[in-house]
Amino acid sequence: MQEKLSPFHVAILVYMIQSGIVMYRLPQMLAEHFGTNGWLAIIPMFLLASANILLIGAVYRLGNGVSILVILEQSIPRFILYPFYLIMSCVWAMIGCLISKHYVLIFQMVAFPTTNPMIFKIALDVLIFLLMTKSIYNISKATTVFFWMLMWMVLLLFFFYKDFHWSRLTPFIFQGSTLTIDGFFNVYSAFAGYSLCLFLFPYSDKKTKLIKAVLAGNLITAIVYIYFCFIAFGFYYYEQLKTLQFPLLNLLAYIQLPFVQATENLLYGFFMFSIIITAVMYFWSAKEISKRMFPISDRLLSAIILVAALGFSFIPDVISEVDQWLSYLGYAELALSLGLPLGLIVLLLIVRKRGAALNE
Amino acid sequence: MSKDRVTIGLLVLLIFLAGCGDQRILERTGFIQSTSYDLLPNGRVKFSISLPKADPEIKVSREFLTTVALSGKEARIKLARETNLMLVSGQLRTTLFGLSIARAGLWDHMDTLLRDPTISEQAKIVIVNGDAHELLQKNYKEYPRTGQYVDRLVEKEATGHTIPLTTLYSFTRDYHDDGIEPVAPIVKDAGQNIVVDGVALFHGSSYVDKIKADDSLIFAFLRGNFKHGEISVDLTKDTKESKTAMLSSLASKRKVDVRHETNGRTTVNMQVSVKVSVMEYVGKFRLSNDAQRHTLEQQISEIMTNRAARLIKFLQEKKIDSIGAGIYVRNSMSYRAWKKLNWYEEFPNVNLQCKVKVKIKDYGFLR
Repeated sequence: MQEKLSPFHVAILVYMIQSGIVMYRLPQMLAEHFGTNGWLAIIPMFLLASANILLIGAVYRLGNGVSILVILEQSIPRFILYPFYLIMSCVWAMIGCLISKHYVLIFQMVAFPTTNPMIFKIALDVLIFLLMTKSIYNISKATTVFFWMLMWMVLLLFFFYKDFHWSRLTPFIFQGSTLTIDGFFNVYSAFAGYSLCLFLFPYSDKKTKLIKAVLAGNLITAIVYIYFCFIAFGFYYYEQLKTLQFPLLNLLAYIQLPFVQATENLLYGFFMFSIIITAVMYFWSAKEISKRMFPISDRLLSAIILVAALGFSFIPDVISEVDQWLSYLGYAELALSLGLPLGLIVLLLIVRKRGAALNE
Repeated sequence: MSKDRVTIGLLVLLIFLAGCGDQRILERTGFIQSTSYDLLPNGRVKFSISLPKADPEIKVSREFLTTVALSGKEARIKLARETNLMLVSGQLRTTLFGLSIARAGLWDHMDTLLRDPTISEQAKIVIVNGDAHELLQKNYKEYPRTGQYVDRLVEKEATGHTIPLTTLYSFTRDYHDDGIEPVAPIVKDAGQNIVVDGVALFHGSSYVDKIKADDSLIFAFLRGNFKHGEISVDLTKDTKESKTAMLSSLASKRKVDVRHETNGRTTVNMQVSVKVSVMEYVGKFRLSNDAQRHTLEQQISEIMTNRAARLIKFLQEKKIDSIGAGIYVRNSMSYRAWKKLNWYEEFPNVNLQCKVKVKIKDYGFLR
């Protein structure tokens, strides 16, 4: 029998999917779109994400934990469904690919300015391939190990207590900037990724407490974000945060040891763990969908998806382009994470009504 | 299983091959440790760098290069033509700015320091009272190579809070903050050695004036909380009983209180409480006598309060809020009212009071 996921693993998995490249820029985005005390904006976003997760929870309950792909295929003809599947898997594969490319481009900027970034990208893709061909249970176990390798870095925030000043936070809330819808969703994309739990339905049972675990993972993300951004806002004045490209890297660079100066190079490497998991889970979801259309071996399918995405990722070759693409894909992802559960709920209700009518 | 081995082998190969791309060979790299900027009358910048030498065949301990260019990075390209080493900025510890360029404003030249991802935010900013190039070029016989000498000097003095430790981070942070102005340590060449000359005060990123080294600890009281510090107080003028006292292990705490009067005037009250150890005392008081010690405490407090008041007056005359009173005024107002207020013009009109309260926590082995 296939092993089921444990609540702890699911919570950590969700946290690792959510925390990714947006974190490098989060304080800057908050300062730019929300202004003073922008870190507070994380709270409503967290609540919004939680509400969205509860919506997914409704699907889980209505469908009795049956895979969403099965639900879809039961009531919608394949020729309508498959183009939709194709779009979904493309979106997710592209997000996974561009996230790792974004990471590599930053890594290249700080450490190896003239090396071709695609060399690193391919090396990272090999790791991603090795992990994504494993079962979700094994992925989640690897995630737990990676989680601890990343989590200790929260302790590094102690370094900033000395230069943290409450007075720099100012008593003003959300002043000194204009909030646009675009800006809001850009920041909200920091929480994106919870929608992937839609694919965890078949791998969980009652003991998994799937929705509670996902909510817990979302909470971990929110706490880490709030703590990190709070420190950033008291360490830098918000006007300065607006000018920084990657505040997280600036913060890492501030940590100085007596024998090495460029600590950010060293510490930045640790973020690879969260990037790998984020990318793996997006690819894995793309694979889960593609499997329904192309019933071929897991490894072959994974390789095809990875190579296709890799070829695609040659097109945007500078950070700003990747950013642009990612923000478009982020909208698609948000639309999916809201639209998919809503659609599924409607579908399930129709099925239920029809079933009731048939029984009469 | 064998398939996995092949992929792992490939991966390892990729990782090692990546090392062939951007090579940095230690012996062939010139780590810029200190740089200096001076403004020439024609508007161009005289840029100098100092790099430590590790080559055992060469007797000198450092290489010194200088050129004239429009910007720091252009200068680096020009300097690279003069040396066999590959110049990198990753180990930059100190940036010296001459008075000429500090007066004109540092911001244009900070861009390169902030943008370059290899430069640490902890690189120090030091202002040179005079020509930075000449100071960096000169070899001080009895001291380590000049760049390191300045770096260590500033770092050591900053731990005693006689000067602020100004890094790229703290300078830009205060530059962006609308309630405080940046400061930086200022040093000068004194023939055989380099001496700390006080604290350079900025408006925006342009040098305005400086605070004498003797007053810099009083300035530190006003600017924030700190531990460690030493000050010698001359008591001859203001008291009959005592001549001098040297106070050590200073721990200073600042409390700021802002009131908006009904007549529209703003009052800022600063309460500075300082705990000290007496390391030297020349005078008639017996410090073990509580009453006499309290009198001494009061006398010292009064002298310090007067010195602080003089310093505040000086800052208000120069219209530079280097002590950050603006932060507290800002935080006591609404956002709109603060944005309407021109703090630069308003600062001289604020009723800014400071009271220093000294408490002697111990007085050594003598009673």
